[in-house]
Amino acid sequence: MIINWYDCNCSYGRVARPSHRFAHNVEELLAEMDWCGVDRALVYAAGSRASSPVTWNPVTAGLRDHPRLAPTWAILPPSTNELPAPQDLIGAMREGNVRALWSFPQEHRYRLDFSTFRELFPLLEKARIPLFAKQNLIPLKELLTECPGLIVVAVNQGPHSVERYLRPLLDDFPNLYLETSGLLVEGLIEEFCERYGPQRLLFGSGFPDQCLGGSLLRLAQADIGDDARRAIAGGNLERLLANVSL
Amino acid sequence: MRPGNPSPLAHEFLETGRSESCPIIDLHGHWGPYYGAYLPVACNDRMIGVLRRRGVQRIVCSAHDALFADPDRGNAEMHAAIQKWPDLLSGFWAVNPNYPDLAARASADMAAAKGFVGFKLLPDYHARPITCDAYRPVLEYANAMQLPVLIHTWGGSAFNSPQQVEVVAAKYPEARLLMGHSGFGDWETSARMGRDYPNLFLELTACYAAHDFEMLPSGSGTPVGLCSCLHVNGIIEYFVERAGSEKIVFGTDMPWYSPHFAAGSVLFAHITDDDRHNILHRNAAKILEKLIVQ
Repeated sequence: MIINWYDCNCSYGRVARPSHRFAHNVEELLAEMDWCGVDRALVYAAGSRASSPVTWNPVTAGLRDHPRLAPTWAILPPSTNELPAPQDLIGAMREGNVRALWSFPQEHRYRLDFSTFRELFPLLEKARIPLFAKQNLIPLKELLTECPGLIVVAVNQGPHSVERYLRPLLDDFPNLYLETSGLLVEGLIEEFCERYGPQRLLFGSGFPDQCLGGSLLRLAQADIGDDARRAIAGGNLERLLANVSL
Repeated sequence: MRPGNPSPLAHEFLETGRSESCPIIDLHGHWGPYYGAYLPVACNDRMIGVLRRRGVQRIVCSAHDALFADPDRGNAEMHAAIQKWPDLLSGFWAVNPNYPDLAARASADMAAAKGFVGFKLLPDYHARPITCDAYRPVLEYANAMQLPVLIHTWGGSAFNSPQQVEVVAAKYPEARLLMGHSGFGDWETSARMGRDYPNLFLELTACYAAHDFEMLPSGSGTPVGLCSCLHVNGIIEYFVERAGSEKIVFGTDMPWYSPHFAAGSVLFAHITDDDRHNILHRNAAKILEKLIVQ
């Protein structure tokens, strides 16, 4: 069976406390993807998370020469005027073909809620731009309640099972998606597919925080149908990005 | 696309989910449901089926009920499971130092119960340091009998840091000490100990995943919070380089972590297939040699 792997959770570049192995640059990221057989990746510059999106979001302009890599940017609260104003940010995304955004509330120290992003989130909803959120599920519920039309991808939800918190949210919020790098607990992928279908699950490795091959082998051999496997491996992300209207 | 990783083992696992030439021996398993999280395969038959499909030849487990509630009842549950699936399951006898009378007779109880190969100690959860006197009877017995002892370890812990385990490793040189989670986060100390102590092995459970406890709604779940470590990629390569693959053993916490997620991290690490064989089964087979009686 041929699977087109499209990793939705990857980064490259130096940070203050790096992994023992990481990609210093785009070429090293591509080499690691080759090593594991990953076709494409949605990528942010590591500095956009570990340092400031102000200086590091623009670095992804260098990805234009790499058709296997799609750039993403991190957001900050519009009220501090560090990034372009929301309307201008969408315009810059159009120019840079950036079709997804990331939020790191812990690292960048803000509340991921409507009052903090009241100018930006309606625009994301309208353009169907997915927001990848590295956020604890308790505050994430507030966001989903306030902005049920926002497409939110919850990342790094693990490695412990958080199902007792997560399932009520998945039941209530159809625009909540989940990424697989935190799904280490055996059986979670299979039960997700049984309960919700595969459409809201996206393959992510968390590289370079984690080895790319762990999440890959887990999904490659999950006890699910091949159509579901293809959808999670890349089809769902392709669909999400294709639906974006910039 | 096809992985550029030339390892035949990696390709075999990717295509079939298992390898005849490279079975998995898992030295860190558990048994039964866990109070603090939903574990889908914690029910018995389902776990057995998953283990067989994932290419696991043997797993050594301790019962959650023994570790988190009644040691007598939980160890009895584990014993019953081993009797039912002796070709796949072995046991670590769970010891809780908060019950000194039970800990004192744990060696005799374990020896009398067929299918157990050593002990499981969980200091972070029992909130007693690994150096405390209540552990002495089982450590002395393990030392005398050259038995494996799986110790939960974590970097920066007040109860089972690598530095505390080092005291035990020096004091009981004949016991086979398995550093569960490889002193998670304190990789440098753990790797040095793996290199320096012939009786100490680095056990990989949890080393496949970043642990950011702020992301978990209930934190680490231990009486004293554990330190986060936000990246683990490259740790397996680092251990192989510093301690040698002969000192690393495979584990998953099953029914927690998927054997395939864990094996994928070993199979796609930048090490040799010889190293992968050592980690996935050879070292464990040597440790268990003569301890498993079919």
